Amino acid sequence: MVYRMGRLREKKMSKGVILFAFNSPKFNYYDMAVATAKRINHFLDLPVSIVTDITSIPKNTTYSFDNTILITADTSNKRDWGTWINKGRYRAFELSPYDETLLIDTDYLVNSTKLLNTFELPTDFCCHEDTHFLMYHTKHLEMLNPYGFKTLWATVVRFNKTKRAEQIFNSMGMVQSNYEHYANLHGFIPSPYRNDYAITLATRIANGNTLPVEDLIPWNLVHIGKNIMVYKNNDDVFNTEYTVMFDNWQRGKIRKEYTVVKELDFHVMNKDNFMELV
Amino acid sequence: MDTKTLITEAKARFNHNSAKAYLKEKYESKLIVADQFGLWSANLATINFLTSSSEDEIILIDNFNNPVKINRKSLLSKLNAVYKSTMEEWYTEWVALEKKR
Repeated sequence: MVYRMGRLREKKMSKGVILFAFNSPKFNYYDMAVATAKRINHFLDLPVSIVTDITSIPKNTTYSFDNTILITADTSNKRDWGTWINKGRYRAFELSPYDETLLIDTDYLVNSTKLLNTFELPTDFCCHEDTHFLMYHTKHLEMLNPYGFKTLWATVVRFNKTKRAEQIFNSMGMVQSNYEHYANLHGFIPSPYRNDYAITLATRIANGNTLPVEDLIPWNLVHIGKNIMVYKNNDDVFNTEYTVMFDNWQRGKIRKEYTVVKELDFHVMNKDNFMELV
Repeated sequence: MDTKTLITEAKARFNHNSAKAYLKEKYESKLIVADQFGLWSANLATINFLTSSSEDEIILIDNFNNPVKINRKSLLSKLNAVYKSTMEEWYTEWVALEKKR
């Protein structure tokens, strides 16, 4: 069952962003989504809709999403720290109220207008394949298995309401429903469920076991790893300059190193650190 | 604690290699341009080729490996503008980061 709470519109919906956020005992994904939505509104000037469940919505919230889409959370995905509600992402196609949609992880820190360029790409579906780990720029790309496909990333996905995009998301649903089978087939660990692996397989399934280059966003997804700390360089609400610090282990000793980045969008893997930045 | 104090307290060193890699990451993506139903990189090879050609329309292989018939002058003008503005920004930020120790 899906409930929608939206504003009355005067014009036809076309472009927008959709976020999935379900609170876990450890992290407040709804608050993360609010922070991300504010930055999207500011930098991209796009409306943001949220897909969530009733228990994740706080009683007192000042931010108003373009649409709040309530679904029943699938709590079957377990991690070492507890339940991680990340299943159901394949429903983005069905739930998105927009003709052209950006599906973004709530821990993606928008600091520029760059994501608007994804709407200019001549394709109806695209996501990231290549990544860049800040401070670990020589790190190899992730693979499903040592001899398998390169992992695609569900962190940022841009899609239109086309038949082909629908097939990709339907395939993603099929992979989620039969995840253990696909894990056996492709030699990756079946738990926890990862949307990145599902989208990797779904894109290939829907494209006849090929991966069209048009389906790949033509720049790298920038990750900040879990063992790296990011600090704001000022307290502006929409700050875009950060100091990135990490412990470089060399010959049994730690050498603290840092760099400074500005106006760079990045995916923060350390969720606690993310909330300090917004 | 502000960031400057944090860096001093931690005796952290500025990592120039990471800074260079970050700048390359950031600005190379800004050189990618969608135009005339194709995807292009505002790089020297493409700009030089478009400059040296004299035809009004020309067929080029874009970043998606599709042959695209383009208006040469229009694409050249766009790639030149993107290249110039991006390289100016890249250089300015690189000079600023190079001063850090």
